[in-house]
Amino acid sequence: MTTAPPETQGYADLAVLRKTWSSKPRFLGWLSSINHQEIGRRYVITAFIFLLIGGVEALLMRLQLAKPENTFLSAGRYNQIFTLHGTTMMFLFAVPVMEGMGIYLVPLMVGTRNVAFPRLNAFGYWMYLAGGVFLYACALFNMIPDAGWFAYPPLSGPQFSTGKGVDAWAQMITFTEISAMCVAVELIVTILKMRAPGMSLNRMPMFCWSMLVQSFMIIFAMPAVMIASTVFLLNDRTIGTHFVNPAEGGDPLLYQHAFWFFGHPEVYIIFLPALGMVSSILETHTRRQIFGYPALVLSLVGNGFIAFGLWVHHMFATGLPQIGEAYFTAASMMIAITSGVQIFCWLATLWSGRLKATAAVHFVFGFLFIFVMGGMTGVMLASIPLDLQAHDTYFVVAHFHYVLIGGALFPLFGAFHYWFPKFSGRLMDERMAKLSFWILFVGFNLTFFPMHWLGMIGMTRRVYTYIPGLGWDHANLAATIGACVILIGGLIFIINALRSIGSGARAGNDPWEASTLEWEADSPPAPYNFPNLPVVTSRTPLWTPPAERPIVVGLREDRREILVTEVLDAQPHHRSVQPRPTLWPMLTALGFAIGLAGSIFYFSSYYVASVLGMIGLIGWFWPERPLEVEG
Amino acid sequence: MSERRTLDVSGLPPYDISSHSPLFWGQALMCVIEGSLFCMLIATYFYLRLSVDVWPGPGIHLPNLTYSSWALVPLIASCGGAYLADEAAKKNDRAGMLLGSGLNLGLAAIFLVLRAIEWNTFTFTWASDTYGSIVWAILFLHSYDIIADLLVTAVLMVIVASGRYGPRQLLGVHVDSVLWYFLVGIWILLYGVLYWAPRLIGGPR
Repeated sequence: MTTAPPETQGYADLAVLRKTWSSKPRFLGWLSSINHQEIGRRYVITAFIFLLIGGVEALLMRLQLAKPENTFLSAGRYNQIFTLHGTTMMFLFAVPVMEGMGIYLVPLMVGTRNVAFPRLNAFGYWMYLAGGVFLYACALFNMIPDAGWFAYPPLSGPQFSTGKGVDAWAQMITFTEISAMCVAVELIVTILKMRAPGMSLNRMPMFCWSMLVQSFMIIFAMPAVMIASTVFLLNDRTIGTHFVNPAEGGDPLLYQHAFWFFGHPEVYIIFLPALGMVSSILETHTRRQIFGYPALVLSLVGNGFIAFGLWVHHMFATGLPQIGEAYFTAASMMIAITSGVQIFCWLATLWSGRLKATAAVHFVFGFLFIFVMGGMTGVMLASIPLDLQAHDTYFVVAHFHYVLIGGALFPLFGAFHYWFPKFSGRLMDERMAKLSFWILFVGFNLTFFPMHWLGMIGMTRRVYTYIPGLGWDHANLAATIGACVILIGGLIFIINALRSIGSGARAGNDPWEASTLEWEADSPPAPYNFPNLPVVTSRTPLWTPPAERPIVVGLREDRREILVTEVLDAQPHHRSVQPRPTLWPMLTALGFAIGLAGSIFYFSSYYVASVLGMIGLIGWFWPERPLEVEG
Repeated sequence: MSERRTLDVSGLPPYDISSHSPLFWGQALMCVIEGSLFCMLIATYFYLRLSVDVWPGPGIHLPNLTYSSWALVPLIASCGGAYLADEAAKKNDRAGMLLGSGLNLGLAAIFLVLRAIEWNTFTFTWASDTYGSIVWAILFLHSYDIIADLLVTAVLMVIVASGRYGPRQLLGVHVDSVLWYFLVGIWILLYGVLYWAPRLIGGPR
C-alpha cells in the first residue's frame, strides 16, 4: 500500500464515475434502470402499496366480524378477502419488502457499486410487479381465489373450486418465487464475492449475514412451493394430472408437505432480515459493538437449518404417525434456543451500551415485547395435544400475527426510520414517528391479544360470522377497534414519511454516527455508491478513524468496473466489468408474464412464455456495442 | 479530505474465466435451485409410489430400458464437447469453442431424438394416473431444461462464430458448460429413479 495525495490519481474523478454509473434519462431510462438503489426502492414502495391493500382487506374482515350475524360481507366475499389478504401479505408484501431492503442496503454495506447481477435484479423486480398486477387484474375480472393463502386441495381442486381464481393464485406464486430466487442468487454472490477488501466473513455486518442466510433459505425452500402450486395444483386443475386427486391415487397431504416445506421456512425468510435490522439498529444506538457476534451469526445459521425441520407442525391435525410428529415437536421447540440466544445477545447489548432512544429503537423494543410473546405461544403450539385443541382457531391467528407483525413488521418499521435518511437524505420527524409507534403498538395488541382468548374459547379461523351469546362479542369488537387504531398509526407513519421526504431536516451522510459502510456514502448515495471503494480493517469500519482505513484505487472509471474478492477473507482477486442498463430484462419479464398469465387458460401459453422469454434472454445476453476493450 | 492510504488494484486481471467469477457462482446457485426442484420431484415419486400397491397401475408398462440406456451414451459423451468448449474459452481459442460446442449440440441432439422415440413407446399420459403424472413431470421439466440450455449453447456458438465477442461471452461459454454438466449429472440420477428403481425395489407391497 502506498500513500496518495488527494490531487493525484489517488482519488476518483466523480464526473466520469457519475456518467458511467448513471441510469439513462427519461421514461425509457426508468424502465431500463439496473441500479440497485432504484430497484431496491421500487421493491420497497411497491411492497408498501401491497401492504396498504392487504391492510384494507384486513380491515374489511374486521368490520364484518365486529358484531355477531353481521351482513357487511357475504360468506363468499369474506373467503375471497381473507385469501387475498394472506396471499398479498405473504407473497406480495413481506418477502419482497425484505428483498428490497436487501437489494438497497447490501451493496452499500459490503462496499461495492451494485449487486452482482444488475440485469437479473431488474428482471426480478418486473416479475414481482407482474405477479402482483396479475393477481389483482384477475380479481377485477372476478377471478378471485377463495381457498385460503395455502389453498389446500381438495378444496382448491377442480371439483370444489371452479372458476379461475385458484389458478390465478397458483400462477402468481410462480411470478413471485422467480423474483425471490433471482434476488437470492444475486445477493448471495454479492455478499460472497464482492465484499470490500478486508471485510472477511467475521467482519460482515449482521444485516448482511441475515440476508445471506435468508437467501440460501429461499434457494432451498422456494422450489417446493412451485412444485406444490404449479406442478401439483395447477396441473391437476388444468391438464388433468392426479398428484393431489384422491380419487385417482393422488394424495392431498402430499400438497401440504410440499407447501409447508416451503411455508415454514418462508416465515423465517421474512423474519431473518428483520433480525439483522434489529442488530444494526441496536449496535448504532447503543454505541457499542453488538454483543456476542459469533453467537448471533451461529444462531441465524441455526435458525436457517432448523427452519427446514419444522414443517409438519402445521400438519399435526392431519393424522400423521405420532412418532414422526414427536420429532417435529422437538425441532419446533429447538427454534426457541436459537431465538433465545439472539434475544439475550440484544439484551446484553442494551445493558452494556449507552442507549439513544430514537423512534427506531422504540420499534425495536416493540419487537422484543411482541415477538417474545409470539414465540411463547409458538412453543405452546409446538406441543401436539395443545395444538390439536388450538388448531384452526383464533389462537393460531393471534400467534402468527404476533410473530410476523412483531417479528418482522416492527423491525421493518424501525429499519425504515433508521435508514430513511440514507434513502432520502432527510430525517423523519421523531415526534410523529414515536407517536405512530405508540398508536401502532397499542392498536396491535388491542387487535390481536383478544384473539388468543377467542381461540381458547373456541372461535375457529375463517368464519365469516358468528351467532350472539357465545361470549365472543366483546373480544371481537375490541379487535375491530384495534384494527382501526392500527389504521390511524399507519396513516401517521405514511404522512410522516411523505412530509419528511419533502421537508425533513437534512441528514448528512451519517446522522446516527453508525458503524457500517453505507453511512459513508452520500445520502442518498451517488449512483456509484462510493467514489473509491473502501477497505475494511475492523467489524465496525466507520468507528475506525479514516486515517487507518485505506481506499481502493486503480478501478477504471470509464466503464462499470467492480472488484471481485475472495469468499472467506475478501482479498482482492480480479476486476470485473458489469453490463450497462437495458430494456431487455423488462421485456423478458413481460414475455414470461404474457405466457404465464395465459397458461391458466391454455397450457400452450407456456410455449408462448418460452419463446418470448428466450427472445428476451438473447437480447439480454447479446454482446454490447461497443465491445468492452481489454485492459 | 485528509490523506488516505490506498490499495491499488489496477494490476489485477480485468476478468477471470474460472470458478472465481461471480457468474460461475450465479450459475452454480441456479443449478442448486434446479437441483432442489428435482429432489422434490424424486421425493414426490417415492411418496406417490408408497401410497399405492401396484406401481405403475394395471395396464401401464414401465418405460423402455433400451432407448433410455442407449441414450445415455451420446449424452455423457456430449460432456466431452462441453469440456472442450470450456477449456477453449479459458484460452480464448475460437476454433476450439466452435468444435466443442458443436460436438455438445450434435450429441445432445442424438440424445433428444432417442428420447422422442422412447416417448412414442409410452403406454401412459400425465392424465392416466399418479404414476403418469410424476413421470411426465420429471421428463417434461428435464427436457425443458435441456432444450433451453442447448438453445443458449447455440446462440453462444453464433456469437463466437461471428467473432464479435468479449470476455463476458467467454465466461458465458464457461458457465454454459457448467450448466450442461449439471443437467447430465442430474439425468443420471433421474434415470436411476425412473428406470431402475421400480424394477429393483418396485415389487408389490
